[in-house]
Amino acid sequence: MQKRNYYIEIEDFLSDESFRTWVLTKVDEHGWEEWTLENQQRAKMVENARFLLLAMKVPNTTISSTDLNAALQSTWIKIEEKSNLNKSSANNLSAKYLNKFWLSAAAAILFFASVSVWFYHNQFMTKNAVVTYEELIEDTNEGLVEQTNNSNKPQIITLSDGSSVLLQPNSKLSYPKIFNGNERKVYLSGEGFFEISKNPEKPFIVYANEIITKVVGTSFRVKAYSDQPNVEVLVRTGKVRVSSNELIVDSKKVKEVILLPNEALRFFRSNSSFNKITNITEDKTLVSTVGNIEQLSFEFTDIPVEQIFKTIEQAYLVDIDFPKAKLKDCHLTTSLSDQPLSEKLKIICKSIGDDTSFEMNGNQIIITSEGCN
Amino acid sequence: MKTQILSFKTYDDHKLWNKLKAGDEKSFSLLFEKYYGDLINYGNSFSPFAEKVQDCVQDVFADIWLYRESLQEPNVVKAYLLSSVRKRIARLYERDHVFRKITTTDSIEFLFDFSVEYELIDDEATAESVLYLNKLLNDLPARQKEALFLRYNQGLSVDQIAEMLEVNYQSASNLLHRGLLTLRREWKGSFSVIVLLSSGVF
Repeated sequence: MQKRNYYIEIEDFLSDESFRTWVLTKVDEHGWEEWTLENQQRAKMVENARFLLLAMKVPNTTISSTDLNAALQSTWIKIEEKSNLNKSSANNLSAKYLNKFWLSAAAAILFFASVSVWFYHNQFMTKNAVVTYEELIEDTNEGLVEQTNNSNKPQIITLSDGSSVLLQPNSKLSYPKIFNGNERKVYLSGEGFFEISKNPEKPFIVYANEIITKVVGTSFRVKAYSDQPNVEVLVRTGKVRVSSNELIVDSKKVKEVILLPNEALRFFRSNSSFNKITNITEDKTLVSTVGNIEQLSFEFTDIPVEQIFKTIEQAYLVDIDFPKAKLKDCHLTTSLSDQPLSEKLKIICKSIGDDTSFEMNGNQIIITSEGCN
Repeated sequence: MKTQILSFKTYDDHKLWNKLKAGDEKSFSLLFEKYYGDLINYGNSFSPFAEKVQDCVQDVFADIWLYRESLQEPNVVKAYLLSSVRKRIARLYERDHVFRKITTTDSIEFLFDFSVEYELIDDEATAESVLYLNKLLNDLPARQKEALFLRYNQGLSVDQIAEMLEVNYQSASNLLHRGLLTLRREWKGSFSVIVLLSSGVF
């Protein structure tokens, strides 16, 4: 530890691990405190170094072991994919000369394509920094199912992972039949209320016009009509991350906004800016458009099953058919706020009794039961 | 309390690396778990797209495994990983911006901001000085900031920083030096009085 007697610059202190440990954790194994007090000149230098160290904090974001495992998992998948790719290109080695010819042809075509993309892009960037549903859909190649609500009342969609989406009139949603890969991506035009089944390993992502909303399991509303100047996201439960789609802004300018329950965000399409609304009750437009589902409480304390079904019917605009007589005297205490529709039904059926089950067919839900335990 | 570790166990890393090279999956996982968080943090200071950064970091590891047999053993594994992540993000950035303004190698910019260790500050005068210093630090040019981060938060040597930023030793050393010099100059000018009054150690 004698080398410190020759320290003459702040840098010397900063790169001394024992010094850093002392400042940052107050563990003083090498008697820094005492050593500092020996000499006034030294004390001043130490003070300065300490201040600088305190001003240089790097946030210590630790990654959870589940996330770490998931990351490792997807790395192995990448390795698999890449090695398959290498193998197939190795097989083509025999056609090397032909390849060469094709390569130059491809390069030429690529060049033309790039130039036209560039022209298109310039046009696109300057005049029209707007992303539409059609463009988003075009960009994907994952065979999507599209559901359009042309009726005059909201429509419920249940996705393969059990999440539910209440799609408003004049809106459409595109989603894969089954969610593959490590993300659940859907595309929205118009307005929808999302209740996402929890799955930390597969984040759920809603692409709507220029913004991207990302969650793990929660409920929120996205309003993104192509003919309206704003895009809105409003959160009911859980935590939601919203960022702008990089198609429209320089990746440097993109920022991510985190929304908590009862917070909302408005994205102005004209200048690609965000406005976070922390008190939604003060925002008239948001309050006036709150749907049934967002007002109803799903906290039930000793409530007749019939009443609970009625609440669900109102919230999701579905019809529930159930054996009224058999369930006449059944009461339940349960909290269903943070669950998608299918999950809610599952919980209710389970609570009523083992021989109770449900079946969902579009807006029709049929409950079969032999009464409660 | 967790220490921010400045020096790292070089021996362990080299052992892991050599076993990995020999095809040991366990060593690969250990190395991955050890550095994934740091690399993600570093990557995130260049790009606001967390997902792309994750992709880049995972690609770096995937390539290490795939090309393990032909890879040279790096002097310091961590420096090698940080540098690979940086290069990959730069490449991605260039590709995405091929027809936009800039295409030089230092087109990626270190957007990271240092924060303040509030838990370790108990008097107002210190808080004020540290806050001011923090602002000065964050106002430094991106490259100077990155050099300081790599040197003092990640514990890389000047040599390694030079290699990472693709400059010679002298320039890397200048980056570090100039950063601190600016701080010292600004700081002395406006804070000697406060420090004098509060600490009484002059």
